[in-house]
Amino acid sequence: MRLLRVAALTCALYCSLVLGGKGESEEDLRLEAKKTFKENVEPFVKQYCTRCHGGGRAKANVNLEVDLKAPGRGVAFLHWKKAVANVKVHDMPPEDAAKQPSKEERLQFIEWIDQLKYLSPVNPGPFVIRRLSTTEYGNTLRDLYGVDPSIAAPLPEEVLGEGYLNSISPMQSELFLDLANRVVEQVVAPEGKRATDVQRRLFGKKTRKEEEYQYAAREVARNLARDAYRRPPTKTELDVLMDVFGLAQTEGLDYTASLAMMLKAVLISPQFLFITPSTEISAEQEIVPLDDHQLASRLSYLLWASPPDTKLSTLADQGKLHHPKILRAQIKRLLKHPRARALFDGFGAQWLRVTDLRRQVFDPELFPQMTVQMREAMTDEPRLLFENIVQKNHRVIRFIDCDYTYVNEPLANLYGIKKHIRGPRMRRIQLDNPNRGGILGMSATLAATSFPNRTSPVRRGVWVLEQVLGERIPPPPPDIPELKDKEHPDVKGLTLRQRTEAHTSDPTCATCHRVLDPIGFGLENFDAIGRWREENHEGTPIDSAGELPSGETFSSPAELKNLLKTREPELARNLTERFMAYALGRHLEGYDEVVIDQLMARIAEDDYRAQTILTEVITSYLFTHRAVEKIL
Amino acid sequence: MNTTEALHALDRRSFLRGVGVTLALPLMDSFASAATLAKPPVRLAFMYMPHGVIMDQFWPSNQETFLNAPPPIIQSLQPVIDQCLMMKGISGVPIAPFNGAPHALELSTWLTGRLPDADSRDRINISISADQIMANYVGAQTLLPSLELATMPQTWKENQEGLHEGYYNHCSFRSPTQPVPAETDPRNVLNRLFGKRGKDAKTSQTNPLDRKMLDRVLEGARDLRRTLARGDQEKLDEYLDSVRSVERRIAAIESRQQEAALEKNGVRPSRRHATDSAPIEVKIPEGDKRSDYMKVMCDLTVLAFQTDTTRVSTYVGSRPNGASYPELGFSNQHHSQTHYGSDQEKIRKVAAINQFNVDQYAYMVRKMSTLKEGEGTLLDNCIMMWGSGLEDGDKHKRENLPFIIAGKGGGSIKTGHFLTDIHGNQGDLLTTLLSCAGIPLDRSIGIATKQINEMKA
Repeated sequence: MRLLRVAALTCALYCSLVLGGKGESEEDLRLEAKKTFKENVEPFVKQYCTRCHGGGRAKANVNLEVDLKAPGRGVAFLHWKKAVANVKVHDMPPEDAAKQPSKEERLQFIEWIDQLKYLSPVNPGPFVIRRLSTTEYGNTLRDLYGVDPSIAAPLPEEVLGEGYLNSISPMQSELFLDLANRVVEQVVAPEGKRATDVQRRLFGKKTRKEEEYQYAAREVARNLARDAYRRPPTKTELDVLMDVFGLAQTEGLDYTASLAMMLKAVLISPQFLFITPSTEISAEQEIVPLDDHQLASRLSYLLWASPPDTKLSTLADQGKLHHPKILRAQIKRLLKHPRARALFDGFGAQWLRVTDLRRQVFDPELFPQMTVQMREAMTDEPRLLFENIVQKNHRVIRFIDCDYTYVNEPLANLYGIKKHIRGPRMRRIQLDNPNRGGILGMSATLAATSFPNRTSPVRRGVWVLEQVLGERIPPPPPDIPELKDKEHPDVKGLTLRQRTEAHTSDPTCATCHRVLDPIGFGLENFDAIGRWREENHEGTPIDSAGELPSGETFSSPAELKNLLKTREPELARNLTERFMAYALGRHLEGYDEVVIDQLMARIAEDDYRAQTILTEVITSYLFTHRAVEKIL
Repeated sequence: MNTTEALHALDRRSFLRGVGVTLALPLMDSFASAATLAKPPVRLAFMYMPHGVIMDQFWPSNQETFLNAPPPIIQSLQPVIDQCLMMKGISGVPIAPFNGAPHALELSTWLTGRLPDADSRDRINISISADQIMANYVGAQTLLPSLELATMPQTWKENQEGLHEGYYNHCSFRSPTQPVPAETDPRNVLNRLFGKRGKDAKTSQTNPLDRKMLDRVLEGARDLRRTLARGDQEKLDEYLDSVRSVERRIAAIESRQQEAALEKNGVRPSRRHATDSAPIEVKIPEGDKRSDYMKVMCDLTVLAFQTDTTRVSTYVGSRPNGASYPELGFSNQHHSQTHYGSDQEKIRKVAAINQFNVDQYAYMVRKMSTLKEGEGTLLDNCIMMWGSGLEDGDKHKRENLPFIIAGKGGGSIKTGHFLTDIHGNQGDLLTTLLSCAGIPLDRSIGIATKQINEMKA
């Protein structure tokens, strides 16, 4: 029965996806893409690329000849993406190549490669079981057992990104056991002492007759496991816990201590430490929808970094959560909750690249302002803006074009805001200075792109293109020296702009820097920690002439913001892609782009609103399904 | 743990194949009859500094200057230089197709001797590292299979060439897909070494009953495994493997406690000589001076080796990017100075950072040379390697990686030499080191093609 339901659901979802954005079926698009590859991409690549990127000794191990044969393959996909990025900025073919494509040819190539996605088979990607992150682990202990989430602090710091959260080292296991012991110590009162509230909730009444132990313990086990495993435990799982109970009894522990041992076993079990599916998959399935409990966990950890609450759990138990209407309503509910702050801490801060601001190094002599409190306020400013835009479901352009912001006294002083603002409390203020406001006019993002002792127009340029507009900038070649220090005899007396220009005059550098640097220079009125300035340290006036790759010019942050106002579709797509990658815990490729295209059509219809983006991603085929490797 | 239980434990251990490692059989030798004093085991440590060295201040010009007037960066090794070995001509792993990721790869290729898998670069997929290969063979005989230390958190965020960020900060990999996080808090390390926690460090962190409880949990995890898809099963295997090592640790602590009890009654454990030095004292420093901090991590390594708590360790003294050295009188970050070109000021600063790092290493090996163990010193029975994943941070060269090896490895290493005409690579070096540490290898490490026989005694 269950299998049938699953199959029917997969089919229904698949059929609803078959119609693409323009009314063409995915199959039509696939055929068209195949044709484009044969007739257009192949001649282009053979003419301009394969002399180096082909044959037995392909440069940089990128063999486009091989990639032409199976253009939709994962690694080929990566190569094409890289090719587009390089061709776009004229980094490839190299300057000394025999033939250079015309500007039109370059643009066409970029367009053709965009069709590549249609060659990828329908696939939501795997959702391999993953361990809770340190934050999620701490929050889970808080929600279930009322302990302070900082209990998780001894766990090693984590790198986010695919694969990392799957692994678990001996040290981590030791710590998990140690932490389980601490939780039990906090929750279960020592013998003879009054039971704690949590203990009473978990273990029920204390005094029982010995002949009832087994039955009562099994009930306790069932409840412990339901909460901690975030799904109903199987019979075998209960048997294991009862084994532990039995072990404790044999070793002479009393009833309560035996239950405590069982709790400890729960806390070190993989079902607690990992998000695991609740249903077995059968051998012939390749793509399955997430079961409702898995969906509840994935959703709740995504938006709250916490386990599902009672409401979500109940919906999962009833098998209702995957219904689109119900799922949408739950997303809305979760976003309203204060716990949704986790969305900024986990996703927003990463998107804006401000996660490390708290410990980023600044030269203490040049920037004594960068105290712990200041960094705190600086990080709070984009968070409050992010939360407001999400809560009020504003258009995402408000991230750029925004006439209010959040400051406290130190931050207001840093900005030179004259209004009467006292104390450490962050509050919303209306701005009359068009240079401030939005992510381009706040110290958090401006400081995050700076060096310890100066601004980096190059990094700011990259930041605007990548974080705001979602472009891909090819990495700099190896072996490049850092910019010469201003004290260096060769460059003494030159401004940062002049030094940067001298540094990037080399033709191989110039191709990219022509694109990057003018954006950053347009923001030079902001110093390395985001203060406004008219002249640099040496007293030379700031030359803030800037230019976008499109050729549009600007000379102040306000003007840059005005130009970017027209780029809302790019900003929205960038945010959608980043959020999707974050939600799935992996990089996007192939078929993912087809889905993103479909989402973008609906998101555009709703004026690029923040909640729409979040909701479309979460209800998408990619988030609600997973591919499974066949069991051998 | 009695013998029957030990054998039972072995059976359970041997079922694990998913992670592609060979698990060694633990020799329950800590209570071997005291009639014959066992030869102390060989222990192996790796200590890392990123971004290469200022070459003309690091490499001796010849054997003579190596012994009598070592260059500035390695000067602090002078008192034990006859117990050191240096070799020129060990090349690093060529990094194409990741040419744009010289720093993301210097640490992660260092002990694996190979590149990440290009097709799945956005996740961790490289190779088991040399230290973890050793841990698989000898780890079961000690309280901790291996020890991983670092001076700073491993969370540098930069995505070079689309490579997973974890490559930036990790040198140890338990399997191709499992980076091993390092411990950065010396207090936690001390707790791990002695199984205690709390301010007074009197409450034992481990409870013999926990081992039996974990046994049941593992049993249950195996039931869960049967219901999972293949990719999930592999992940669960890593969990099983990791929990099993906790079980083993608890068993080891139990036997250590028994050992201590026996010692009280005048029975000396098999491995210890009457003349062996007492375990060193470790003081956790207050404040945040980098040298104090690094010294205590070095002390902890010495203590772990001296008490045979583990036989293999890694210490990422600093990771690529992000580190600064205010003690040296400047606030620049390490990396920002390494593209020095002809800038003398930057060269001076990089050389000072190099020397600073070698000084901490020298502190460690000099201390080891004063500690008696068996017929000689602790250092005699260890192999302590210091090195970097780049030759030179300016041009990202990797033809002559800088290495220093201290310790005779129980008589397996030819110390007191500066060998200039070596032709080998990082994989060759790692393969040779493991061979000197007595690890039987069924295949070479990474890009290795041979062993470097010139360094063997």
